[in-house]
Amino acid sequence: MFGQLVLPLYALYNGCWKTQVLFCCLTNKKPLAPFLLVVQETSLLLFEDVGLYNCASDCSHFDRCMSHMLTKKLPPVHSVLLLVSRRASQLSRQRYDVIVVGGGHAGTEAAAAAARVGAETLLVTQKIQTIGALSCNPSLGGVGKGHLVREVDALDGLCGRAGDWAGINFSVLNRSKGPAVWGLRAQLDRQRYREFIQAELLSTPRLKVLEGSVEELLVSDPNPAEPGRHRVTGIRLANGSQPISASSVVLTTGTFLSGSLFVGRTSSPGGRIGDAPSSSGLTQTLRDQLGLRVGRLRTGTPPRLLKDSVDLSLAKLHPPDRQPTPFSFMNTQTRCKPEEQLPCYLTYTTPGVERVVRESLHLNCHIQQDAKGPRYCPSIESRVLRFPGRSHQVWLEPEGLTSDLLYPQGLSMTMPPDVQLRLIREIPPLHRAEIHTPGYGVQYDYVCPTQLSPALQVKNTQGLFLAGQINGTTGYEEAAAQGLWAGVNAARRALSQPPAALSRTESYIGVLVDDLVSRGVTEPYRMFTSRAEFRTSLRPDNADLRLTMKGFELGCVSAVRHHEAVRVRCSLQNAIAALQALTMSSTSWRKKLPGISMSENKNQTLSGMDLLEYKDVSFEMLASVFPECLSPYMEFSQRLKIEAVYKPHNDQNRSEIKRIQSEENMSLPQDIDYFTLPVSLSQEVREILDRFRPTTLGAATRLQGMTPAAIANLFNYVHFTRRRESRRKQADHEEERGEEPCRRNASLPQ
Amino acid sequence: MLPVSAVCGGIYRATIRTLRTRNIPLNRRLSSGGRVLAGLADADTIFALSSGHGRCGVAVVRISGSAAATALRCMVGLGNQLPPPRTALLRSITDPHSKEVLDRGLVLWFPAPHSFTGEDSVEFHIHGGPAVITAVLQALGSVPGMRPADAGEFTRRAFHAGKLDLTEVEGLGDLIHAETEAQRRQALRQMSGELGRLYQNWSHRLKRTLAHVEAFIDFSEDELIEEGVLDQVDISVCDLQTEIEQHLKDERRGERLRSGVHVVIAGATNAGKSSLLNKLCQRPAAIVSPIAGTTRDVVESALDIGGFPVLLSDTAGLRDSPDLVEQEGVRRARERVQQADLTLLVVDSTILPSEEQEAAALLLEHLRSVLSSQDQSGAGRCLLVLNKTDLLPEAQREKLNLGLRRVSGLPPVCLISCQTNEGLKDFLTVLQSSVKTMCGDPLSGAPTLTQARHRAHLQHCVAALAQYRRYRNSDLALAAEGVRLALTSLGRITGRVGAEEILDIIFKDFCIGK
Repeated sequence: MFGQLVLPLYALYNGCWKTQVLFCCLTNKKPLAPFLLVVQETSLLLFEDVGLYNCASDCSHFDRCMSHMLTKKLPPVHSVLLLVSRRASQLSRQRYDVIVVGGGHAGTEAAAAAARVGAETLLVTQKIQTIGALSCNPSLGGVGKGHLVREVDALDGLCGRAGDWAGINFSVLNRSKGPAVWGLRAQLDRQRYREFIQAELLSTPRLKVLEGSVEELLVSDPNPAEPGRHRVTGIRLANGSQPISASSVVLTTGTFLSGSLFVGRTSSPGGRIGDAPSSSGLTQTLRDQLGLRVGRLRTGTPPRLLKDSVDLSLAKLHPPDRQPTPFSFMNTQTRCKPEEQLPCYLTYTTPGVERVVRESLHLNCHIQQDAKGPRYCPSIESRVLRFPGRSHQVWLEPEGLTSDLLYPQGLSMTMPPDVQLRLIREIPPLHRAEIHTPGYGVQYDYVCPTQLSPALQVKNTQGLFLAGQINGTTGYEEAAAQGLWAGVNAARRALSQPPAALSRTESYIGVLVDDLVSRGVTEPYRMFTSRAEFRTSLRPDNADLRLTMKGFELGCVSAVRHHEAVRVRCSLQNAIAALQALTMSSTSWRKKLPGISMSENKNQTLSGMDLLEYKDVSFEMLASVFPECLSPYMEFSQRLKIEAVYKPHNDQNRSEIKRIQSEENMSLPQDIDYFTLPVSLSQEVREILDRFRPTTLGAATRLQGMTPAAIANLFNYVHFTRRRESRRKQADHEEERGEEPCRRNASLPQ
Repeated sequence: MLPVSAVCGGIYRATIRTLRTRNIPLNRRLSSGGRVLAGLADADTIFALSSGHGRCGVAVVRISGSAAATALRCMVGLGNQLPPPRTALLRSITDPHSKEVLDRGLVLWFPAPHSFTGEDSVEFHIHGGPAVITAVLQALGSVPGMRPADAGEFTRRAFHAGKLDLTEVEGLGDLIHAETEAQRRQALRQMSGELGRLYQNWSHRLKRTLAHVEAFIDFSEDELIEEGVLDQVDISVCDLQTEIEQHLKDERRGERLRSGVHVVIAGATNAGKSSLLNKLCQRPAAIVSPIAGTTRDVVESALDIGGFPVLLSDTAGLRDSPDLVEQEGVRRARERVQQADLTLLVVDSTILPSEEQEAAALLLEHLRSVLSSQDQSGAGRCLLVLNKTDLLPEAQREKLNLGLRRVSGLPPVCLISCQTNEGLKDFLTVLQSSVKTMCGDPLSGAPTLTQARHRAHLQHCVAALAQYRRYRNSDLALAAEGVRLALTSLGRITGRVGAEEILDIIFKDFCIGK
């Protein structure tokens, strides 16, 4: 195996650590099992099943080497592995602050976020090569999902920047429906996305990557000072090596928890085709040892088609936006030039498709199962069965700049491969299409997320965090958002900091987490803009203003980004002040800006901000009239226009936001026995409360089946218990000071 | 069907208070947590006299809470047996300690959840003498875990148990307070949930509408949404807006019926305003004298006119006076006129010119000066009362009576004499029909608005629907926000709102249940 390596091999000697740093470019076409090369003083050792190593002190070297390698444009680079060996003692470091299990969207964000916050972090994944892989659709964002990407980016997460790096077709959905619901979306080059995520993880200080399969979680008795019945202390790998201990463990195992794959009538264990199934030990720990309730969900992916075999002239061309809008607040442009973008194509199903589905139902195991599938990203089988006699959209999407594959969005299917071929050929542009990889279905266990705290920590197990599909969600963006949040909180726990809270009034991430932990899921959960009560405040354009400062306080945002956000906030405030200072009568405005439709009959004084609210007034128009005070803010013209339109509504919303926040601040003790609580609640409500155990009053109000009266009672309970406690504290305090509390008052009925 | 009553009798408040100071500390020691607050104290069992005030044939004492069964057992001597649910039994009611027989009456057992409060409840129907009632209440107070109910606590428990929604609670409160026949009918209608159902129906339709808009925003880029869904939304928003506006255009009939029609007697000094008040009240409520400026403050009196509640106010005569007290009286009078549902403008008929055209011109000017700042519709909410007709010659009276009716722009004219009662009967008929129009028939047509709180929320709802239409074509997010706001506003009426707000409503807008 060692001999198969073709090496341009860059070796550096790091005197300080007495270690050898080896960069290996694997030009070998065959994917290799990752390994670790340890060059000691005299001998050369090879460890298999160990992974990417990097540490803070190597960072500068690494950066230099990395850039060197990338600029050299080495011949077909399949993957870049950075192997850092340390002295034997360093190598077998067996204790971390945070261990993240899984290298998907949730896992990578979690590991990167934990390391950014300052925790020594280890990412354990089955295959280093698949870190950052897009297992399903080659796209990012959309309506609601684009909001999440923006927020993850505002908290310095990876996916926004990765999207800008890997995007090959950018478009803003819902363009005509108002900026609050614009959906940023991009088709991605799979290769580039993976490249970016892997490079990013490698350059993150305090983060190490290890290849392996987790056999079990190490669980011990809880720390009595905290709530919970168990405490997680680390993991044990499948190869029987030493256990690795950590203060926090983040599980992001995606569809791998008791996952099974379905094609036609056959099923096999696994979470993704081409990858080994995860060990059953993990499921057992979660279910049996920790007593977590799990449910079962299903999902699927379409077959991948050979591009050359598709007759795209029969499909409708769907060009991308002429000017790509980047996901990241740190980017003003995308890596892909506007003119280099690839188009998508739209086509429709025919009655033949429905016929094939019906004829092959008996061969289709997956579709007959009763595990809940995603209603919003349905398989072609469930689409034609639920809405028969209609033609359904099928998008043909590029998989990458150089990829020879097409991704047929909307054709996720689980019938036997030969039937899949028959089905797709019923669609005109695909009449002679060839399948590269057949579609398949996955069924997997998820942990009912009502067992989690808003920090995404399992309530009964100290230090165990869950993120991504394991919590019953679907989609890359939902996974990334949870991963980031779980990573931040896992790190904060390890560093003895209090858990961070994100309200649903300030972010979609807050909405997502609150929905999951307080309401749970019955089908794969996907983000929509309609889930956010304060949609007109939680816009994609202002995610940085909402979250970046907060993220900086939490430690997950770099100084550079924070600095930029502060600059933006300052400029916007100044620009708004300048606009508000520009006041004139409407007659004067009409003179200054002829051609705008302003009602003639009202003569009132209007500010520049008021004027910008008008549909046909742009910031550029105002700036051309008042260049001296407005021209410095030209780069924010679009943001200012949006602010002006939404400001009056957001001002109105403020009191409602306050109310919700105060309810969210009213925490319900986690040890309440709802069945004996001396509050008048119906048995049904008691059962609901006991099942979901909401952490705050706000979460309780959003539970299904709660009556307003029950909420009123709970409010009374919390409010008065709190007051009584504060009174008791005050009384204790007075006693300490040697003052006799007034006995007569105490005995009077109140 | 109806709860016997949720009233905690005011006359026995004194009794209850004495009981309370004696028993509560004991109860607090006995009840586990020593909880003292009503909201929390639902572990306590409450009792109260629930029937009306004063001496009566039968009095009803109601008990609600977990210890109700215990109280029933130890006071009725049933051993460990409980009577069959919801069946009246004739029993001797005894003191639990001395075993002395206090009274013989009916006992009823309502096990949870099939009771008014949703908790275990017991009713004693006993004889209505004060001594009997006091004895039974005292005996109940000595049972461990029992305490006298706070005002409105039974209804509150019923609300908290989800037995009533807010409009029903409000209806119940109104029913208990209803003093006139028409008020009773309206309250009963509201309590039966009819108003709530109307709002629920709107709320349901709004939810559907909102769902359509939301779906269009979140999914129209996929194919799951059909074309034209927004056109549907446009239609239903428009319909709803019209319906709610129609409901709001009831001229506050329901509210008036609930709180009484405000009728203000106004006019120049010495026109006989206070005399009219006294005539209508059939008692000397206001001082009457020949001296101009006798009435200086507002004198109020509540009346039942043909089944409709009227709050009649007599005001100071309108004139410029150097007297500071009288100036204030005039200011108050003008304020009342502005707020009035109906103004009775009293004019001394002897000062009118004999020519009817001139008289009409004078009256019109007088009207304008009294109702000065009122809007155009003000004239429709006014009755002209020409007093002291006994001092006019018969021919002049006839001339005015017939002549003024022909003049357009004048409100209805009544000629009366408070001295001889002449014309009073006709005047009362006119007044009654005006009041009736203002209140409407509580049983016909759609249920009417009864609370100012409902009106405010409905107005917000209409304004929010207008927001949808304003932004429909420019910004769908803001348009949808309009529908969301409309739905929230409607939700506030029936109580589907956040916890704190519900409490605010319960404890601020009305005193719940009584």
